[in-house]
Amino acid sequence: MRILPARRAAIERISLSLLVVISALMIILGKADQVAFQSLRNSMMDAAAPALDMLSRPAAVLDTAVDRLRGFVTVYRDNVRLAEENERLLGWQQVALRLAAENAELRDLSKLVSEAAISFVTARVIADSGGAYARSVMVNAGRDNGVARGQAAMTGEGLVGRVGEVGSRAARILLITDLNSRVPVVVDGTRQRAILAGDNTARPSLRYADAGGTIRIGDRIVTSGQGGVFPPGLPVGVVVSVDTEGARVEPYAALSRVDYLRLVDYGLAEALPGPLSISARGGKRAEAGVGGPLPLRR
Amino acid sequence: MINVLPIATTVLAALLSVEPLHLVGYAALTPAFTLMVTYHWTIYRPDLLPVLALFLIGTIQDLLSGGLPGVTAVTLLLARAIVLPHRHYFVDRRFPFIWAGFTLLTGGAMLFLWALHSMLAAELLDLRGPGLRAVLTIAVFPIASFLLGRSQRALIGAD
Repeated sequence: MRILPARRAAIERISLSLLVVISALMIILGKADQVAFQSLRNSMMDAAAPALDMLSRPAAVLDTAVDRLRGFVTVYRDNVRLAEENERLLGWQQVALRLAAENAELRDLSKLVSEAAISFVTARVIADSGGAYARSVMVNAGRDNGVARGQAAMTGEGLVGRVGEVGSRAARILLITDLNSRVPVVVDGTRQRAILAGDNTARPSLRYADAGGTIRIGDRIVTSGQGGVFPPGLPVGVVVSVDTEGARVEPYAALSRVDYLRLVDYGLAEALPGPLSISARGGKRAEAGVGGPLPLRR
Repeated sequence: MINVLPIATTVLAALLSVEPLHLVGYAALTPAFTLMVTYHWTIYRPDLLPVLALFLIGTIQDLLSGGLPGVTAVTLLLARAIVLPHRHYFVDRRFPFIWAGFTLLTGGAMLFLWALHSMLAAELLDLRGPGLRAVLTIAVFPIASFLLGRSQRALIGAD
């Protein structure tokens, strides 16, 4: 079939303008109503998960290979360091054992209700946000594996983020550095509370800190457990700078190169309300959030 | 069959954009692969990468990356709208000229994205990230262009 060039140009112009308008409408709708694309997002995530999983393997293998090569070079130094560290940790082990015994004894005495058992799923990062305006990763575990919205995502070092969207076999983790991330935290060992607010930079800032308290460089920041999404005491990071605008926190977890994540179920996931839909605004919450405490983020 | 190559390479570019490389800071600076592919095919074979395909692939990329759906689609569509009327300037030119054109396009696209996201966030966002991302995108373009040129030769052979 032969289409005249002039005709073809007209078709091109009309369809292009139409699609630009549709895209613009999608942006506005997506911004105004966070639930609008939720199910589309989840099914897209599920559909692409196997392909992304496969594609991300070569990079992961390469990463492991580089780490191993680096390991060969530093093996002697590492060995000396580890031997020393082991010596030190053995001492700590004795302390820990003594404390555990003492703790058990005291719990027994005070009839303290033990905390709910926690379970976790380990998942691999198969995609990241690939852009300057969002900080999230996709992992290869979903509802089928027991992942639920609101669960904490951790590495061995500390908090990474929380589960934002869940498909049946993949989930999206909103990192604590994302512009939309708000985590209630506390300076470890004090009652100085604040909100850790992400701003798409590598170091989220502490906002709304209690007046009168002081935050110093080197302070350990842990979750406060307020809002009920995270349990108290999860390690988050350390304060690295303090100025007039507030303090900045370097996360313990190396967020830009996480490979495996632990998605931990503290039995608190119910606390996180669902995102607000347009119709639910104006007093009434979206279905998933009825009765939940105040939302931590928009 | 070989005619799906432009669409296939664009899909691949979209998947590559969300590929985690475990490099420090990489996620924020991932080169705009789909922009490179869109630029290339808009110059050489716009007929094989129709606007509807661009729209769908851009939307899929947004859904996968967790970004706002529509942002990548609108960027790619505008890129096409800008490049298409000028494609005959580029078709038979040497690579540096093509590269210069892409540099302009990338600069424009990154500024557009920055303005759009600043507007949506209702605050002026940091320009350094997008700036670095533009530099990285422009720097990677020769490799992408080489690979796409190679695949294009297969197309010519089939025609």
